[in-house]
Amino acid sequence: MQGVIPSHVVTCSHDGTPNASAISQVYYVDPDHVALSHQFFNKTKRNIEENPRAVVWVVNPETFESWDLELEFVRSETSGSVFEVMEMQIEAIASMVGMKGIFKLRAADIFRVISAAKAVGERIPPAEIPAPR
Amino acid sequence: MSADPRDTSELREQIALNQQAIDRLNRDLARKSDEIQIIQQISSEITSTLDLDEVLGIVLRAMDTVLGFAHSMILLKDLGDDILRVAATRGYVDQAAGAQVRLGEGVIGVVGERRRMMRIGNIGASMRYLRSVRARMEAAGEVAPAEAPAAALPGLADVQSQLALPLTVKDRLVGVLAVESQTPNAFDELDEILLRIVGNQAATAIDNARTYQMVEQLGRLKRFFSPQLADLIIRGGADDPLKTHRREVTVVFLDLRGFTAFAETSEPEELMGVLHEYHAEMGRLILAHEGTLERFTGDGMMIFFNDPLPMPDAAERAVRMAVTMRDRAAELSVRWRRKGYELDLGIGIAKGFATIGAIGFEGRWDYGAIGTVTNLAARLCGEAKPGQILISPRVLLEVEHLLEVEELGLLTVKGLARPVRPLNVVRLRDPV
Amino acid sequence: MIPDRVVEVLHGPSYIQLGSRDDALRPAHTMAVGALVHDDRRTVTVFVPAARSERVLRDLAGNGRVAVGVALASHEAYQLKGTYVSSRPTDDADRVRQEAYRAALLQSALEAGYPDALARPFCLGFAYTPGVAITFRAEEVFLQTPGPGAGSLLA
Repeated sequence: MQGVIPSHVVTCSHDGTPNASAISQVYYVDPDHVALSHQFFNKTKRNIEENPRAVVWVVNPETFESWDLELEFVRSETSGSVFEVMEMQIEAIASMVGMKGIFKLRAADIFRVISAAKAVGERIPPAEIPAPR
Repeated sequence: MSADPRDTSELREQIALNQQAIDRLNRDLARKSDEIQIIQQISSEITSTLDLDEVLGIVLRAMDTVLGFAHSMILLKDLGDDILRVAATRGYVDQAAGAQVRLGEGVIGVVGERRRMMRIGNIGASMRYLRSVRARMEAAGEVAPAEAPAAALPGLADVQSQLALPLTVKDRLVGVLAVESQTPNAFDELDEILLRIVGNQAATAIDNARTYQMVEQLGRLKRFFSPQLADLIIRGGADDPLKTHRREVTVVFLDLRGFTAFAETSEPEELMGVLHEYHAEMGRLILAHEGTLERFTGDGMMIFFNDPLPMPDAAERAVRMAVTMRDRAAELSVRWRRKGYELDLGIGIAKGFATIGAIGFEGRWDYGAIGTVTNLAARLCGEAKPGQILISPRVLLEVEHLLEVEELGLLTVKGLARPVRPLNVVRLRDPV
Repeated sequence: MIPDRVVEVLHGPSYIQLGSRDDALRPAHTMAVGALVHDDRRTVTVFVPAARSERVLRDLAGNGRVAVGVALASHEAYQLKGTYVSSRPTDDADRVRQEAYRAALLQSALEAGYPDALARPFCLGFAYTPGVAITFRAEEVFLQTPGPGAGSLLA
């Protein structure tokens, strides 16, 4: 879940409208929790504040298997270990593209993992993909 | 009783997965105990030497041969500033010696600033993402276009993964230990653990070696410079001033008119008494203005400014010191006259390039400066009548606004093609 | 009603995802391979793998609310929200379109800087057949590109 291939997140507002967007990285917190970085004010964040359920689609960049993670929003952190780890990474990359201080982590949104299942039938195994001619 | 084929295959898959997990755990465990053994060995190697280069070499060799990190580097932080300098590398074609990173810049700089380990495995993708955001912000006018890119961070081109650890001793940042790879997600939690173990040993060993190095150097420097100056040089982390180098310096020569006659006719105790008083007074002023005393030969002294510590206002300091010396010497002269000694100070000041370094031989080194500038300053001093401070036109250029001067005609100096027009410093325009 | 640029992006090559939700407001997700904007520039059909369609079809039949995200490797992205219309199995014509789509997707990933070892298995690894063509009517179109204006309504 290291953000080599972008992930997707679907949330749903209080009035029942789904929202589908891409996220750059899903952070592993512990066996039962993940974190998403909250950088721009956006609909995803507004939705999980109204309705804490989300589904995240991630791809393992080594096996290319894709997974669906059913998540429930727990809390937003602006300090602490998880936040600091995420903040440092963003700070480092921001400084490398001349965005130091401009691009900052607003919060780390912590989710409890309700279920994690391989997205069966979505991927063709790499072995079955024809090699380049 | 026929088993549902789907159940059986799922079960088999699960067993296979479990076995994979067990195999992986066993491999990790074996790896861990092997590596911990070797790390213990390394730590005894590291702590058995006080040679900084040796310590750095042992650490980086261990990174490679034991932990399998092909590309590693150690950066050290000086006492005085916020810069991490590459002190040793392994696995790089271009050694990048002397390359530096400011605290807060890039992975290494952020690790140094936050004093916390960082592992990142998707540098390429992350940078692409942020670059595209930046481009859109620029297009929308929300951010100024990127300035010329800052100096490239030391390390691999197209780096994808980095793992960096701050090296700290008692809350003080000694430096940063970093490994990197062009493969995404190259490092895992176990790598973090192992790096931390080696890093902690390394931090203490490096700090000890550096302290030893500093103490050694301080000892050497103290033989040449005042303790404060020696300390300043160490803290600045600058190049070894004792290595021969050229620098533009302002040179001050002073001596006492009438000293030779006095030395011949006076009692030894009187002579030493006068010298002692004179050196003490002049010495105090040299220290106060942070000049470098190159030599004293009896009553003559040579002092220069802008080396080993750079000073933008070297000429001004030299002149201010000279004026204060003249005033102080005038007071001394009054006292000496009462005892029957006729002694007056003369000073010459010039500016130019000199070759500077340790002069002498084993057991008897001096920190010397050689060049036309020293000849000129000495000649100006020689020409100075009692109570005069003769400065060269080049010095005047920098301090004109501070002084009232009088012209003195032409002076020929050995080694200079054309004669010089020295100026005598009458007084400072404002109080010292 | 759907802006030209968004039509262009939907027609590929791009990464398309479909989001739905059930009665308890629990979201679901599936990737789609290929999309088609109808002549009315309001109705859109996306093609999802049949193996992934069960849950979303159930959701759509239940409440009809759908969100479709579309993104390029350069991070340019849009989102359409609307109402489900109908679905049917994909046919040969759809499959031909999808195959071309996948190949173009790989090319664009390589151009965006992703290494072949990563891009090839990822892009060509999207299952597409058997597939289900899901048609919906777009009611709102949003800019979703990260950066200034993200989240703003375009149409």
